[in-house]
Amino acid sequence: QMCIRDRYQRRVHGDQGFVIKMAGSGYDYDVSTLSPEGKIYQVEYAMKATENSSTILGMVCKDGVLLGTEKLIVSEMMVSGSDRRVYSVTKQIGMVITGLLPDGRCLIDRAKEESASFQKQYGIPITGKVLADRIAQFMHMNTIYLWARPYGCNIIIAAFDEFGGPTLHLIDPSGQCFGYFGCAAGKGRQIARNEIEKLGAKNLTCKEAAFNMAKILHKCHEEMKEKKFELEMSWICPETGMTHQMLPKDMQKEMEIRAQETLEKEAMADVQSQIMKNINICLLYTSD
Amino acid sequence: RPPRSTPKPSSAASDVYKRQVHGDYLIDMESIDWSQPIRDGTTIMAVVYDGGVMLGADSRTTGGALIYNRVSDKIEPIHKRIFCLRSGASAHTQKIAQLCRLYIGQLGSELEETPPVYSAAKIIQSFIYNYKSFLSAAMICAGWDPIKGPQIYTIPLGGTLVRENIATGGSGSAYMSGFCDTHYKAGMTRKECRDFMIQSISLAMFRDSSSGGIIRLLDITKDGVSREYISHDQLPLKQNNYSQSCLLYTSDAADEGLGVDLGGR
Repeated sequence: QMCIRDRYQRRVHGDQGFVIKMAGSGYDYDVSTLSPEGKIYQVEYAMKATENSSTILGMVCKDGVLLGTEKLIVSEMMVSGSDRRVYSVTKQIGMVITGLLPDGRCLIDRAKEESASFQKQYGIPITGKVLADRIAQFMHMNTIYLWARPYGCNIIIAAFDEFGGPTLHLIDPSGQCFGYFGCAAGKGRQIARNEIEKLGAKNLTCKEAAFNMAKILHKCHEEMKEKKFELEMSWICPETGMTHQMLPKDMQKEMEIRAQETLEKEAMADVQSQIMKNINICLLYTSD
Repeated sequence: RPPRSTPKPSSAASDVYKRQVHGDYLIDMESIDWSQPIRDGTTIMAVVYDGGVMLGADSRTTGGALIYNRVSDKIEPIHKRIFCLRSGASAHTQKIAQLCRLYIGQLGSELEETPPVYSAAKIIQSFIYNYKSFLSAAMICAGWDPIKGPQIYTIPLGGTLVRENIATGGSGSAYMSGFCDTHYKAGMTRKECRDFMIQSISLAMFRDSSSGGIIRLLDITKDGVSREYISHDQLPLKQNNYSQSCLLYTSDAADEGLGVDLGGR
């Protein structure tokens, strides 16, 4: 028994139609097709677009929210700061993007429009949860129609409002949107998630947590030490009057230097403890 | 059977529209001036007190000289803790209130919280302002929300939006403005507020021809909403009984001690 698509394959492509070139094998040509296992391959491929891209992080702290990303410097000739990843959508909402950046910038424009129309109609600034739901629905719309492709980016929305306090939402290309206390996406997401869980940012103030975020971002980058990179961090905290601002440049620089030193010290401490263990073993054997 | 006092109405088809039967009364439709729009001539009022907000309105809906409804309800619900008072053309205000209810319902389900009273007022304002050349509507939006507590917003004819602690509206409000200015104080108790409102609306109904009937009151607090009405025989100023209307206060009101002696006539 063959399903309709298999019969089509055989008829059009002959016996070659059944050579399996990749995992999709015919169910991955457009986003409006479900595979027999129940997967939409195009959406999974869109998620792969973000798996190898820059890491983005978000943390909810005791008194606010932090956002951060590490950017690889593509060219020495580029004006620093022109490759923006972190944007302010409203005074109290910030967004960071990873994956296909033009797709991400389109979503940021959409978020700005949604916020403006919400404020115009209802008179109150849009809340983080409502904006995240609307952007997630918008991204999901691109996964149901034949003529559209999914947005190939993960975004984190950090917000502060009267109803929910400080909130964080992570949205992926399939349109799934969840609220988090700490989340990460991109290449270094596993390392970042472990570190954020260990950190327990809910008990730290934004200032203390910002240093830890710089450290985590440097750690995520360790595999690609040869490539130059820079950080982009932002926060919503009492120091900024609960509005979304980029971290002040000197503060960011100072934190990066401290983070690097701390990481080096930790690495040294690791090596030293290894050496001590080996020495103890040697002493054990020469004592006779 | 008693003889007919009026001539028997003709049963010709063209004449049927000329008469309407309401209970025992036969209304001669031709003698009524239908060119006048139906209006809530009105006296409406809202006051913030310590613990909530109280809304009050008269109950007369007129079309020219005809009273269409002498027990109408000018207090429209918008949401669980948000209500609005209508004054001006009835059709316009009812439509605006209905649309506001629709949008605030959507906002409430999107936010999953009690929607702010300010948003309801903003929606009413956007209709009155953007269509001001077509509408004749002035409304008061009042309610309670967890963030700002009890609030009142007036939206008069041109579409301004003003937040106030005491708001009056309608044609009858002019007749009670002196009384309100003298006797309003911030942070009244519920009983003081209720008595103050009953007095002021009675005074307005006493003098304004487009206001009358009963006084409807609505009380909004954090814990709930309660309605009541003061029927015509309980009003401080009895409009039907002219001899008793010479007394400005009933004895109960005097005992509450609003503290003003306006003398007898």
